[in-house]
Amino acid sequence: MLELRDLSRRYGQTVALDGLSLDVPEGEVVGFVGPNGAGKTTAMRIALGVLEPDVGDVRWRGEPITREAQRQFGYMPEERGLYPKMRVDRQLRYFAALHGRADADEAAARWIERLGLAEHAVQRIEELSLGNQQRVQLAAALVHDPPMLILDEPFSGLDPIGTDVMSEVLAERARAGAAVIFSSHQLELVERICDRVAIVNRGRLVASGRVDELRAERSQPRLRVEFDGPGGANGWAEGLAGVRIVGRDDEGLLLELGDGADDQQVLDAARRAGRVRSFAPARPTLSELFREVIAR
Amino acid sequence: MTFRRAVTLVIRREFGERVRQRAFQISTVVIILIVSAIAAAAGLLGGDNKTYTVGVQGSEAVAIAESARTSATAADITLKIKQLTGAAQARAAARADDVDAAIVGDELLSQGTPPGELAQVLQAATRQVRAAELLRRQGLAPAEIRRALAPPALQARALGGEEDEKRKGVAFVASLLLYLQLIIFGLAVASGVVEEKSSRVIEVLMSAVPARALLAGKIIGIGVLGLLQLTLTVVVGLAVASATGAIDVRGADVGTLGVVLLWFVLGYLFYAAIYAISGVIVSRQEDLQSSSTPVTMILVAGYLVALPVLEDPSSPLATITSLVPFTSPIVMPVRVAVGEAGAGEIAASLGILVASIALLIPLGARIYEGAVLRMGKPMKLREALRTARATR
Repeated sequence: MLELRDLSRRYGQTVALDGLSLDVPEGEVVGFVGPNGAGKTTAMRIALGVLEPDVGDVRWRGEPITREAQRQFGYMPEERGLYPKMRVDRQLRYFAALHGRADADEAAARWIERLGLAEHAVQRIEELSLGNQQRVQLAAALVHDPPMLILDEPFSGLDPIGTDVMSEVLAERARAGAAVIFSSHQLELVERICDRVAIVNRGRLVASGRVDELRAERSQPRLRVEFDGPGGANGWAEGLAGVRIVGRDDEGLLLELGDGADDQQVLDAARRAGRVRSFAPARPTLSELFREVIAR
Repeated sequence: MTFRRAVTLVIRREFGERVRQRAFQISTVVIILIVSAIAAAAGLLGGDNKTYTVGVQGSEAVAIAESARTSATAADITLKIKQLTGAAQARAAARADDVDAAIVGDELLSQGTPPGELAQVLQAATRQVRAAELLRRQGLAPAEIRRALAPPALQARALGGEEDEKRKGVAFVASLLLYLQLIIFGLAVASGVVEEKSSRVIEVLMSAVPARALLAGKIIGIGVLGLLQLTLTVVVGLAVASATGAIDVRGADVGTLGVVLLWFVLGYLFYAAIYAISGVIVSRQEDLQSSSTPVTMILVAGYLVALPVLEDPSSPLATITSLVPFTSPIVMPVRVAVGEAGAGEIAASLGILVASIALLIPLGARIYEGAVLRMGKPMKLREALRTARATR
């Protein structure tokens, strides 16, 4: 497990991290989300040892992390990091060797094969399409079989097929026992492929856990009521005990049930108002949870 | 992985990738061509010792050629004599350029106009041989004839001397080469640093190896490449120069070669550190121009100073600029090449340069560590120094 403990870091006057703590267990994929400037990249760089925190520490498998351990990590930076004029195969061998692999050649060949880059192996990076460049980037992060994978926006700019390959590889690495953390703004994707989610805002962790745990943590359950016809438009729900209207559209209402609210009473009221087509607890998406947590 | 292992890997990449680059290969060929051209031109224009073959037919012609051969040395040419049988063969040999000229009876045959210096020597010899023959028929004794025809010649004594000119030529080429190599390979360091920043590959690299290993590997790898190119150029240049007779390759010139290479290595380390700083404070190749130009200007100034130093290698300007580490890598080799630097001065110059490098490299490394992950607008030098203090 990778543990970030109370990390703080400023750049001049700007506070990038303000006591961030976060765990990434081995064998799991953690989605790292937060608004731009929340400190995700800074946290990742500190985890990698590329940057030193002002305060706080990083632990790996229960011990304070060492440079030696960090050099085993695989990293994919947000803006692609490859030599534009270097051949794909030489580049991957170089990265494997820098990470201390004695079998750099075989490792590079294996990942070139695995990511379908065989026909591009002797081309220079700048000759490749963006999608293929991204595959090379992923290969560069994976070429030394890292026990910890840190990826900054790995999905940005990928086409649907690239997205599938990336998700598959991340899940596969986690199954093989690696700890995986990646940042993303594509919250549906994060919700779909991550075991856990960590939400940061202004340099602090504001929520973390499995998506259903995050949902459960939300104190107020919600109900979505839809009508056939215009029944939802009138004020039937106003004045019901403990019920607050949080959304309204042509189809119906989104209600938040506070203390003293009774969903059966709500259903009765709705049926009196019109023809109810759908009455269901509203499972918030990660996007909705995210907005709520950030707004807090 | 050890620091040394990391540096070795980086050196191998820097050297391996660059030596394969078309740009490097072309620039090597161009520099070698330029230097060879200078060396060849010096040899040809210098009118230095040339060898001509003269075909002779008949006993008088032999006598003329023999006489010409003795006087040829004074004209700084060497004559080879080729015996030909029959006027027809002589004509054919001249036409085919087998010989530079052929003496047949009263004719001097050559393909095209005969080289002026050769014709002059042969004409003089002919006059002398024919005059001697005439005098012999008049009954003069051989000793009297010799006295009559060979009065004591004017003793030529060159002031300044040809040797000096040659040394100056070598020094000029040395300063030009040092200047070009320092700029080319210094800039290669700067743009290599920027390439890694602008492509963000630096982040991936730094997750694997320390920043210092990256910088050290880059400077050494590019330096080895520069040294290789310079050595090749100098060796080819010396070979061409000695083939065309521009210089006689002797111990002194090989010594100059050693001096040039030593000052290149030291000057390169000095400037590589400065160029690396000029690279690391910017994030894009477009910004490198403005941050590296001041460094290049200093080198240009160093080269411009080397030219007057060439003319007056013991002037105060020469003494001062061969001590200042910014100019000494170009100026000092010039003074050594023309033989105008004392051992003490050389030691002082080397000492100052080495000490400056010892100060500059760690400073450059700290600025590099502090600034290499900073993206965005170019940093001010003062800002960069502050980050250097902030890291450890």
